[in-house]
Amino acid sequence: MTAAPISLGGPAPRQGRLHQVLTSPQGAQVTAIFVFVALWQLVTLVAPRVPGPVDVTQFLYTEITGGSHGGIVTGQFFEHFAITLQRFSLGLLIGFTAGLLVGVVIGLSGLARALLNDTVLVLLTMPAFVWAFLTTMWFGISWRAPVLTVAFTAFPFVAINVAQGARAITPELKNMSTAFEVGRTKRFRHLIVPAITGYIFAGLRFAIIVGWNGILLSEWFSGQAGVGFRTRYWFDANRYRGFVGWVIVFIVFIVVLDRLVLNRLQARAFRWRDPLQGEIDLSHQEQAGA
Amino acid sequence: MARVAIQNLSKIFPPPQKGGDPVTAIGDISFEVDGNVFVSIVGPSGCGKSTLLNILSGVETPTSGSVSVTEGSRPARLGYVFQDARLLPWRTVIDNMLYVRDDDRSETATRYLDMVGLGHTHDMFPGQLSGGMQQRVGIARAFSVEPDLLLMDEPFSHLDAITARSLRDHLQALWTATRKTVLFVTHDVVEAVQLSDRIIVLAPGGRIFDDIGIELPHPRRAADPKVATLQAEILGRFEEMQPSTVTGLESLG
Amino acid sequence: MTNTVAESVSEGTGQALVLRTAAGSRRRRYLAVGLGWLAFLALWWALSAVLGSEARLPSPPRVYREIVTILQGDFWTQFWASIIRVIAGFAAAVLIGTPLGFVMGRSKYWGNFLQAPVVVAGSIPGLTYAVMAFVVFGISFWGPVLAVGLIAMPYVAINVAEGVRGVDRGLIDMSTAYGRNQSQVFRHVVVPSVLPFVFAGVRLSFSLAWKVGTLTEVFGSSKGIGFQIRRNYQLFNMPAVIAWVLLFIVFMLLLERLVLVRIERRLFSWRQWERDQ
Repeated sequence: MTAAPISLGGPAPRQGRLHQVLTSPQGAQVTAIFVFVALWQLVTLVAPRVPGPVDVTQFLYTEITGGSHGGIVTGQFFEHFAITLQRFSLGLLIGFTAGLLVGVVIGLSGLARALLNDTVLVLLTMPAFVWAFLTTMWFGISWRAPVLTVAFTAFPFVAINVAQGARAITPELKNMSTAFEVGRTKRFRHLIVPAITGYIFAGLRFAIIVGWNGILLSEWFSGQAGVGFRTRYWFDANRYRGFVGWVIVFIVFIVVLDRLVLNRLQARAFRWRDPLQGEIDLSHQEQAGA
Repeated sequence: MARVAIQNLSKIFPPPQKGGDPVTAIGDISFEVDGNVFVSIVGPSGCGKSTLLNILSGVETPTSGSVSVTEGSRPARLGYVFQDARLLPWRTVIDNMLYVRDDDRSETATRYLDMVGLGHTHDMFPGQLSGGMQQRVGIARAFSVEPDLLLMDEPFSHLDAITARSLRDHLQALWTATRKTVLFVTHDVVEAVQLSDRIIVLAPGGRIFDDIGIELPHPRRAADPKVATLQAEILGRFEEMQPSTVTGLESLG
Repeated sequence: MTNTVAESVSEGTGQALVLRTAAGSRRRRYLAVGLGWLAFLALWWALSAVLGSEARLPSPPRVYREIVTILQGDFWTQFWASIIRVIAGFAAAVLIGTPLGFVMGRSKYWGNFLQAPVVVAGSIPGLTYAVMAFVVFGISFWGPVLAVGLIAMPYVAINVAEGVRGVDRGLIDMSTAYGRNQSQVFRHVVVPSVLPFVFAGVRLSFSLAWKVGTLTEVFGSSKGIGFQIRRNYQLFNMPAVIAWVLLFIVFMLLLERLVLVRIERRLFSWRQWERDQ
């Protein structure tokens, strides 16, 4: 193997500024969005039944501003959204409280764990649409079905995460009892509270994501109002631009909530935490709640 | 019998941080290696020894200067042993030996495997072998392609002393039997003295500090007093190049 | 949970090591698991008694009878119908996701470019895929296939990208030093490195994809487990709904925990040894 003599080359030519911006991670993401919208438009040419981006945007504008769709139906946005948010919050409250209680009990008591853990795991694997069906069968067409769907879907996630948190801090709690008086409050404040809040927050975050998914399903199958119901309304009317529009509303809300709000909160509150220490089994939890 | 000719070779890396200085790994070195000799390249960290091997094997390109590795009139065939064994974990030992060959002749591969005492690992996976055994396979693999030039980059530095000693003996046995041209990089002067016919010493910044010939017969025992004397002498010269900065050392015996 | 626990106890002048053997600990674990299931059944039974059987929450024996009926009936036809769609969907996900993942892994630009859509795809609720598939295909075999494929594809792509990024550079350098050409490197180094990641993508998305597939069957299918659940829901046949749901969950878990994990272990046995290193 012979290498020919190589002389020193000059420095690489500087890339244009536009090129740098376009190839940055943010630039790539923005370009991706544009390309997606362009592709969407293309798809509508091939499959005319699929509503295009322009139609959907027009629809959303009418719906949100309370304008009139084709002179027949008026846009109703805030009423439905508010109803769904109310139900969602209530269901989340119930599910979270129950999950917190059960999780603490499971985490602290070996006996409770042996008895209750499997039940929680089974609940974890239940598909959300099953809860939607069951609650409708139990409570009929009312606000109770969506609320309880959210509660049932969210409960196992909170319980599992809180249980893990409680188990993780138990040795710390035990150590505390043998530590000096002086160290006890400090230990509690700086070790135990941050540790367990991390798990509680993770549980809450999962609960929000799967609960939101659950309420859409429940209102779809059994609603008389709300985001899910309104989505179905347009679907049943074969006005797919309405269907797609509401789905976008649904997605945007949770994406914004999760990635912009919850993500930031979690990162800020737990800056100190080594991300690898958590050991929360995410893959399995992301599975559930479909 | 390979011939390595290095002429005004230098390798400069771009600065690791913006606004810093470029890093000179190798700064204008020239030397030649001819014949079936075992040559060690010795030096502290940062003296460019690994970079030199990477350039010889084609993994890196020189910034300037020329490098020629030939066997007669054709380019030399290379064998390479790394610090870690670099075996494909999803292939058996024999398949690893065959991967680096251009033919399917498993008899040659098996023969070299037997020579290092690992014939029984023929169908095992690397993950089932200890670190020392994996490295032994790596050495057998390098020899089995019957290369003109064998490049070895600190092959024993990741092993414990006992395993390293045993592997050095395996290496000497293989080498005295096959007499290849070997370029052996190490930071361990003692090891270099035991194994080589010639030691090229590089200083930090990648320039040649010394070029020492060693006339003892092969194979050499680590405990041989002649070897030990030579090691002490060369270590002394090493001290001249990089005097210890620890104060008070002179007062020690 | 470790199999052996050594507790050192210092008593006076000496030290005694108390070893709990692997066998003892395992027996304890099985006992705990058994207890858990008994507790689950007990809780269920109690609740059903309180709420009044049949309409609200059928008792375990009632559901058990229903399960037996179903198993003796056309369970396997329905199960097979569902599973074949899941397999087809995953095949599509792998066929599209793997090359996509390759591109994402090899090029920083494409990695960033495709990252956003893939992430958003993960946030889309299953219902959207189910309805979309129904809109596109109507009542057909292909609806659930599309839904499963769309759900699983991002998982496969992301995992393959990870796998591609994680290919051992040392092995590539070794191949270069020994003069191996591009195709040899691809075949012997890159593909075996990435294959476990493809499988991981499938395994990780398995239960999620199957749930969405079943949901799609609820909408647009004339066969399958999802269809059965919907049919019994419309007939207000509570025991049957619960029976089908339980069967669905059990088989999904069995397939994921037993079949997939076993296959993965077999295909990639060399990883176990590598990990032990």
